[in-house]
Amino acid sequence: MSFLNPLLLVGAAAVAVPIIIHLLNRRKFQRVVWGAMRFIKASVDQNQRRMRIEDLILLALRCLILILLALALARPAMKTSTTDVFGQTKVTGVLLIDNSFSMGVSDGAETRFDKARKAAEQAIDALPAGSSTAVLLASDLAQGLIPEPTFDLNLARKTVREAKLSDRASDLAPAIQKAIETLKGRAALRKEVYLITDGQAVGWRQLGDIQKLLEQTKAEIKSHILLVGAKEEGNLGISGLAVAGGLTPVNRPIRFEVQLTNFGKEEAKNIRVTLAVGSEPSGDEIMVPLLRPGETIGVSLFGKLRAEGFHAVTARIPDDHLLADNKRTVVCRAIREARVLLVDGEPGAEPRDSETFILGHALVPVAPIDRDNYFIKTTTITASEMAGTRLDDFDAIILANVPDFPEATVKALEQYLKQGGGLMVFPGAKVNAGFYNDVLFTRHAMLPAALGIPEGNADQEEKFSTLQTRNYEHPVTALWNNPGAGTLASARFFRTFKLEPAAANQKPASADAGPARVVLRYADGAPAIMERAWGLGRVFLFSSTADTAWNDLPVRPAFLVLVQRVLGSLVQRQDEGLNVPVGQEFTRQVSPDLVGRDAQITAPSQSAATRELRRVELLNGTPTLRFAATDIGGAYEATVNDPPAVIRFAAQPDPRESDLAELAAEDKEKLKTVAQVYDWSPTISLRELVEKERVGTEFWLPMALLVLALAALETWLAQWFSRAK
Amino acid sequence: MDKQTIDSLLDPLTIQRAEALGLQARYVVEGYMAGEHKSPYRGFAIEFAQHREYAPGDDTRHIDWKVQARTDRYFIKQYEQETNYIANILLDGSESMQYGSGSLTKFQYGKALAACLSYLILHQRDAAAVGIFDQEMRDYAPRSDNRATIHTVMQRLAAFQPKAETNIAAVLHDMARLVRRKGIIIVISDLFDDEEKVLDGIQHLRFAGHEVVLFHTLDPDEFEFPFKGLVEFEGLEGIPKILTRPQEIRKSYLREFENFRTRLREGCEKNHVHYVTANTAQPLHEMLSGYLAFRLKTTTR
Repeated sequence: MSFLNPLLLVGAAAVAVPIIIHLLNRRKFQRVVWGAMRFIKASVDQNQRRMRIEDLILLALRCLILILLALALARPAMKTSTTDVFGQTKVTGVLLIDNSFSMGVSDGAETRFDKARKAAEQAIDALPAGSSTAVLLASDLAQGLIPEPTFDLNLARKTVREAKLSDRASDLAPAIQKAIETLKGRAALRKEVYLITDGQAVGWRQLGDIQKLLEQTKAEIKSHILLVGAKEEGNLGISGLAVAGGLTPVNRPIRFEVQLTNFGKEEAKNIRVTLAVGSEPSGDEIMVPLLRPGETIGVSLFGKLRAEGFHAVTARIPDDHLLADNKRTVVCRAIREARVLLVDGEPGAEPRDSETFILGHALVPVAPIDRDNYFIKTTTITASEMAGTRLDDFDAIILANVPDFPEATVKALEQYLKQGGGLMVFPGAKVNAGFYNDVLFTRHAMLPAALGIPEGNADQEEKFSTLQTRNYEHPVTALWNNPGAGTLASARFFRTFKLEPAAANQKPASADAGPARVVLRYADGAPAIMERAWGLGRVFLFSSTADTAWNDLPVRPAFLVLVQRVLGSLVQRQDEGLNVPVGQEFTRQVSPDLVGRDAQITAPSQSAATRELRRVELLNGTPTLRFAATDIGGAYEATVNDPPAVIRFAAQPDPRESDLAELAAEDKEKLKTVAQVYDWSPTISLRELVEKERVGTEFWLPMALLVLALAALETWLAQWFSRAK
Repeated sequence: MDKQTIDSLLDPLTIQRAEALGLQARYVVEGYMAGEHKSPYRGFAIEFAQHREYAPGDDTRHIDWKVQARTDRYFIKQYEQETNYIANILLDGSESMQYGSGSLTKFQYGKALAACLSYLILHQRDAAAVGIFDQEMRDYAPRSDNRATIHTVMQRLAAFQPKAETNIAAVLHDMARLVRRKGIIIVISDLFDDEEKVLDGIQHLRFAGHEVVLFHTLDPDEFEFPFKGLVEFEGLEGIPKILTRPQEIRKSYLREFENFRTRLREGCEKNHVHYVTANTAQPLHEMLSGYLAFRLKTTTR
């Protein structure tokens, strides 16, 4: 026997009330001076014993009523008996329905999610009358459709029927955590969690934590796991799509890198991969002859962006049972041109001697006659001319061996970065390391690292260091993970500055400074290129010269690719947020004249009638458009009518969710120790299965009825006893 | 004596009604004035009563010779003498008479009754004595036929304050012994005493030849016992307090009370005593004129 509201047992102290009332009443009486005492005395003598017994009966009844009432309010419960005459005890439940995109696997007739809805309805039907339930959708987070248990089970059924699949990944731990939090501390005898999922192993990646959590709450909360997934052997999915080159000029073929993964256990042959820009029907396509189980390959497809602005680019493979990962969309912004300012710290006598000579050619690798048509435009100035130049006219600025510059220029540079400009810094023999370290690194935290002591000797060719040959982590250099893309390893570095980033726990001096990241390392692990976001812009810091004074990288073929990719990263800095993982909030700075306007946002495969409105707001002084409901993968379009503006962005599902591998048998066994696990099929009787588990009875109802009966008896007896005798 | 006392004791309406009916002696009483009452002394008076067969020892003077001549048998001629009677009015002045639920206590009602009766008797030129008693006679206005005595009587009645327990039987026995001349003894009391002893006393009075009239003075509360809730009854005559819920013992009380009255009434009837219930809720004049009318009907002259 236990009590669900044990605090209310204190109410049993009210048993003193009738006794106190009795004692108080004994002191409150009418006094009558009376002559005919002998008759009263005779009557009292006859009745005294009976009256005392009646008084005691009434007092006992009243005390009993109060004690029972306190007991009933404390909700006593027994865990042992299986059924009782008062029916099954009510259940407080939480329905967790997995709506990650793997639930979209179809067996031809219905999807796993359709089955999950049926199973959920069965679970609701199996609840005893008077039960309540919450309904949560579980993906990588718990989304409360009915966050708190409701007694309106019809509402719960309706909610389940209308629940929608998302393109989110699944991680069941937060959802189970949420379900348990919802039930914990609730005064109910029977608490049950129903998790309806497809048993995909990915969703259980925090199995240890889930098991621990369920183990802790096992005594209080019964968990039922209904697995609706049938065995699914094969699944092909596009696990990645990105612009390969970094820069997205208008009307030039742009290479898109498509990652294709075979998540199944059988070989896939002759997979046709297509790429479409916007709503264009046809685009580039490629046939992948063979993809072995578990293998991921990258294929390159080319597309042209016909106009300036935002373009949704979609890669597709033929449909299989799981539709959600058969296509993937990225949004990129096409630019007409990228203007680069080269600041030459050592112009030299001949153009060929200048610090930026090779750099300039690497940025514009075309014949002089075609320079005007090329999308990268360079302007070269000397360090002293910097003060008189409008930095805002350029998309990127490259400082090559610039000794130092005045404070006003530092301020201008700061303003430029804050608004989204890009900066590339190449050191050299002439740089004033003190200025770079004290002003640019320490005071403004613009540089991702301080320039340490230069190492090596540029006047010999025997001793040099080389760059890393594998495990490129930064997006700019990730390209060289593919051996077919060439190599950086051939470059020799004779003299380099040691890049010394700030200690991890040291807070940068400027709030605009983002974390410093290593782009490229030397073979010994020391950083060769580092970068950091600063304001809306970005800064790349190289450790050696832009010309061949300290190294021979500029004359290697990879230099052109590296410089262009770094430039792409600089120019696209502000477009990074265009592609978000499904479920993550889209945030973008927009032009100030849109503040206060409503943007209509059209989700992928959604009709215009269901567009959502989001107002452009000032966030920390920056006009910002935000949209969090990115539950579906694909291209979104935000439109403002006045002034006319269109912004496109895309949400991309987590490729891990495409892996339909089931939970291992031994993990299932582990789960069975903390929960009831059923393989659901439309024919199983869930009610029978769960009712076996529902043991325990609450006694408040019979007690309340007994209190009522006793109260009625007390009233009747009080009347009966006080009748004239 | 002030007018207020007179008014309170002598209700003009009562007097007016009662006067017309008069208080007749039911039995032949010994009187010393020729009045409206029969005398037990026969033979010499004016009014013929009856014939009686002669028995040896009778005065031959009273033989009715005319009858003897007609029937040849000896009959004695008997006469009745109208006498003045003496009424002894005994008012219970014990504490229990102090109870009164309405405007009057039983004692006040009894005092008014005693005063009215005295006035009535004196007005008829009969003699009246008034005594107030509890355990013994506390105050006694000796008999008088002087109408002015009414003032003395009323003064005494007004001045008396009850304070002791009652012992009616003892007083009645005393009266039976002390009052030699036969007359009417009127007892006004709630008779909250051992009714056997009271009846003994009455029997003693009857044995002494007195006519006895019992006015059983009771409060309506004592008839109905209407109390509710928790009540502490404080005994007026030494019985310890009783705390009880009266409505729960009401039936039992009423039964006890009715038994008590029945025993008294039956005892009275056995002794040919008029038992009159004087409920203080009933106006005095109603009660008194009712009784007097009844008495007039049952009294033969």
